[in-house]
Amino acid sequence: MSDPQYFAPDTVDEAVRLLSEHPGARPIAGGTDLVVATRGGRKELPEALVALHRLAELRDLGVEDDALRLSALVTQAQIAESEPIIGTWTALSDAARLVGSPATRATATIGGNLMNASPAQELGSPLLVHGAQVELLSTEGARTIGVDELWLGPGRTATSPGELLTKVVVPRPQPGSASAYLRLEYRQAMEIAVVGAAALLTVDGGQISQAAVALTAVAPTCILVEGVDELLADAPADAAPFDAAAELAAAQAQPISDVRASAEYRRAQVMVIVERALRMALRRAPDRVAA
Amino acid sequence: MSTVLGGRYQRPDGLGKVTGAARYAADLSVPGLAHACFLYAERPHARIVKLDTARARSLPGVLAILTHEDVPPVRYGMFVKDRTLFATDVVRFEGEIVAAVAAVTPELARTARSLIEVEYEPLDPILSAEAALEADSPLVHPDWEDYAIRDGVDRRANDGGHFTTVKGDVEQGFAEADVVLREIYRTDMSHAVPIEPHAILAEWRGESVTIHSTTQVPYPARSGVAETLQMPESRVRIVVPPLGGGFGGKCDFHFEAHVAALARAAGRPVRLVFSRREEFVATDKVRHPMVIELETGAKSDGTITARRARLVLDSGAYVGDALFAAEIGLMMVTGAYRIPHVHASAHTVYTNKTPAGSVRAPGGPQVCWAVEQHTDVLAAKLGLDPRELRLRNLVREGDTGPTGQRFDHNGAVECLERATEKAGWGKPLEEDEALGIACGWWFSLPVPSGAYVKLNGDGSGSIITGAQENGSGSVMALALLAAEELGMRPEDFSITYQDTDVGPWDLGSAGSQTTINNGRAVIAAATEVREQLLELASEELEASPSDLELVDGQVQVRGASSRAVSIATLAAKAHGGALLLGRGSGLPPAVPEHDLAGCVGRLGYSAFAAPSFYCHVARVRVDRATGVVRVLEMTAAHDFGRVLNPTGAEGQVEGGVVHGVGIALLEGTAFEDGHQRNPHLLDYKLQTGADAPPINVIFVDTKTPTGFPHDAKAVGEPPVVPPAAAVANAIAAAAGARVRRLPMTPERVWSAINGESA
Amino acid sequence: MSPRYPLSMTVNGLDWTVSITAGRSLLSVLRDELGLTGAKEGCDDSECGACMVLLDGQPVNACSYLALQADGRAVTTVEGLAAGSGKVLQEAFLSAGGVQCGFCTPGMLISAHALLERTPQPTESAVRLGLAGNLCRCTGYQKIVQAVLQAADVLAEPQTKQGES
Repeated sequence: MSDPQYFAPDTVDEAVRLLSEHPGARPIAGGTDLVVATRGGRKELPEALVALHRLAELRDLGVEDDALRLSALVTQAQIAESEPIIGTWTALSDAARLVGSPATRATATIGGNLMNASPAQELGSPLLVHGAQVELLSTEGARTIGVDELWLGPGRTATSPGELLTKVVVPRPQPGSASAYLRLEYRQAMEIAVVGAAALLTVDGGQISQAAVALTAVAPTCILVEGVDELLADAPADAAPFDAAAELAAAQAQPISDVRASAEYRRAQVMVIVERALRMALRRAPDRVAA
Repeated sequence: MSTVLGGRYQRPDGLGKVTGAARYAADLSVPGLAHACFLYAERPHARIVKLDTARARSLPGVLAILTHEDVPPVRYGMFVKDRTLFATDVVRFEGEIVAAVAAVTPELARTARSLIEVEYEPLDPILSAEAALEADSPLVHPDWEDYAIRDGVDRRANDGGHFTTVKGDVEQGFAEADVVLREIYRTDMSHAVPIEPHAILAEWRGESVTIHSTTQVPYPARSGVAETLQMPESRVRIVVPPLGGGFGGKCDFHFEAHVAALARAAGRPVRLVFSRREEFVATDKVRHPMVIELETGAKSDGTITARRARLVLDSGAYVGDALFAAEIGLMMVTGAYRIPHVHASAHTVYTNKTPAGSVRAPGGPQVCWAVEQHTDVLAAKLGLDPRELRLRNLVREGDTGPTGQRFDHNGAVECLERATEKAGWGKPLEEDEALGIACGWWFSLPVPSGAYVKLNGDGSGSIITGAQENGSGSVMALALLAAEELGMRPEDFSITYQDTDVGPWDLGSAGSQTTINNGRAVIAAATEVREQLLELASEELEASPSDLELVDGQVQVRGASSRAVSIATLAAKAHGGALLLGRGSGLPPAVPEHDLAGCVGRLGYSAFAAPSFYCHVARVRVDRATGVVRVLEMTAAHDFGRVLNPTGAEGQVEGGVVHGVGIALLEGTAFEDGHQRNPHLLDYKLQTGADAPPINVIFVDTKTPTGFPHDAKAVGEPPVVPPAAAVANAIAAAAGARVRRLPMTPERVWSAINGESA
Repeated sequence: MSPRYPLSMTVNGLDWTVSITAGRSLLSVLRDELGLTGAKEGCDDSECGACMVLLDGQPVNACSYLALQADGRAVTTVEGLAAGSGKVLQEAFLSAGGVQCGFCTPGMLISAHALLERTPQPTESAVRLGLAGNLCRCTGYQKIVQAVLQAADVLAEPQTKQGES
């Protein structure tokens, strides 16, 4: 029942060293998942906390020719409001705008969001359709894995205890691409995803050349829907079989029944939300009409 | 003559609230403060086979641990004495208190709690109210026949309160009908959810205890402490700091005695502060889950001839104040319609769930939601417009209510007309939008109350009242009534309130009653002061008191403002002799005459005094693919008699409407094996500011002869009653499918659209 | 015995140093160590917003924020709002009738203040979304929204006049 040990390192190297020295330690950024989970006695805090808020090196939001580079402490508010993200990686800003309240968005970070590994996290599906990768650092060195490899189940990741997520790299999409994220919302704000879907379409001369769909809150992790690209590639944008893609998604969803919805309703809503996300992405595609 | 009534007025307790200076109960601290927590059963039904506090007691810093052995063996309860402070041998819901701990820190109190050893033998939980009424059902209270009851309570096995209404001959009424409609509606449990959780601080001085509590009803809370701890009321002082909302959840006697007993045992002041989970699980005042059966006969021209109704209220483990909800709900089954033949019954059923009771307009929203959907279904069956059917049946002057009370002039029809006009009834809307109407009525509650008014030496005034301010502003507005009586300004008065050692008895902030009862008391007290002032002035001005009037801070000869003396001058003079001091109380107005022949178990809500009427119209958009409903606009017309404090009354309507929209769409507790599954605000979803619709508020100012005082009627509760019903009818119109389960969640709307019974 | 750590922060313009365990929330330190009880505790999942304060100008749910992470930073609570443009908001809440029980009011004012700092002339819809993290059970939000819009107008007045002159 004792309170945790607490460290607030000034450098990333020091943070990584502390994490390796204290196997029970967890990094903490905004605490909007970690601390909230311990409130009301639901969970214990970890035995040691390595606070990241002083690490200026982890605050960069870099828009580069090849990719968007989001350091771990970039907040949901920054992602929601960044013009380049809104313009090019739109599903990410769609998702970040939906997170909690202004206070939550100002505090919650992308690193914390991803490492909490909730199947309902908003950024998960957008990052999946955009093929993002994460950089992990430990005293052993750095490695990079795809976000699709990061999550193993609710609250579980493929990282080792001493590893710190330092950066998320989101490749610049092909020209002609557009993305969108939508979720089923009971309220207009302060919601948690019951069903969410991200879609990415690349449209060239009125014809779809590439497509991806990912799902939120209907499986143990956010998941990419397999076979969407094969199904939609080469389809004319104005007559693409989005309904078939939605069916594909519903078939791959593994929804559960809980206090928020039944599995049956969730599965039916996957169809609705996926089709809407695809349509929204298409509406945003610059080259959606045949020349 | 100028009046302060009906003017815009800034509440005097507001400054402390916007600056953070106002100290609520959980903000209070005193030297030596110890911290309390409760050990709950955490299971719906079980027998305690072992209860050992020794390990917990031995922890350094633990000051007191109490169980049923440490308090007098008293059974209490407003209507049925079915309850003890601590579980004795059996626990009957998950939030039942088994033990209480006081320690030097909150953390230590929780650690000690975890060291209390309790062993249970599980008992089969009784979780369905309908099943509990079956003859062979096991009993929640096997000893129910031994419990003392208030006169008039009619109870049965597993039924803590049975009521009937019998008017006319219902069989004859159905025989006259061309059309008969029978339906069943069901509602889930919902909660009061004040943003301030319960908090209590108790401190003893000698044999007397002062309890700072978040109660809405300080005097009943005092009685509860005195009864359960067996001490005179004079040694119990309840002081309520600014109250962070109540909505009924802080009515009745709750936890004051537990904390007082802890403080006595600890020899220290003790504070208890609830978490949000406790607020859901342990605060035993939730809105009743109900089964509502309605059967109606009507002639083809829309005239309603008969109604049969049966209400089954799932009242949880203890009766508490739940019989209000049952009897009021029973009065609502006719809606505000003239129905000559009625047979209705209500059962207040024990189950192993959270006890239900008074939540803002107890019994109202559920029954109105069912009755007004039923009205729309009847209209469709008759081929009539829903507005037209209502217009043909709403009560007019001279009509009679369900127990035969005769209605005076009222605004029922005008509310319907003005609300539907404002909302654009009959005008074209977007394809996925629709309007829904709900009408109804509510009571004004005549009960005793008291207040003092005094004028200070400088001519300023002080009101000392027993009334309780829950946030609505009704106590703040008492200054308007005193000012009106004395020709002074509201800001000339200070108000001292919610302290049982200071003010006279009052029921508390319950039953929308503060303005109409404590208001009467304040007026009576001010009238005494007025007479004293006139007497003094008549000497001063050499005029008869009957020729004098009080205007703008002075007493003047009627119509001659130059022959005047200021109230300040008179007050200064009085301070050399007989002080200016008034007291007000007096008998409450009578309940209208009515006929209870054949009725069973009636407890005081068998007729509605000075009833207020309303009509709400909702405009909604339904997403047919998802079932998600957005309420786009609400129009709320209310007949409150004369509105004395429009800012306050608007605030009550707007807040009630949004609360009601929450009940309509999302506020519902899911149960699994006798446990609440969503006792937190992430999954028990209140409307946020982004969800809340814009609200058109319409006051239908009727000159009602039965309103009191100044023709005023009840304001606080009615606005929360019809929104769910109006939203339901709008959903049905937009979705083409009706949802007969409350709340009407997206999944239930979607299921209804897809042809499944929700 | 849990280890204790020093925490130095500026609260409403005053410097404070306290020694606390790492599990303490910012809210508990403000309320129990500093006696600033304006921010309230209304829930345990960052849903109600009654605990909201400004941390370096950004709104944060103090009930779920580790106090030690405020080290070296500036906190503003409702008690400190009157020192700045928050006073206009406070007055608007009073005159518009946006205060009933008052328990949500401190958090509501903090969110409103943060909103107007970001967006000095918000639309009604922006106000509603900006306050979505603050639950109110009394008012139905309508008069609170009106109060924020009213305050925005008042705060804009001097600038408009300067611009015109």
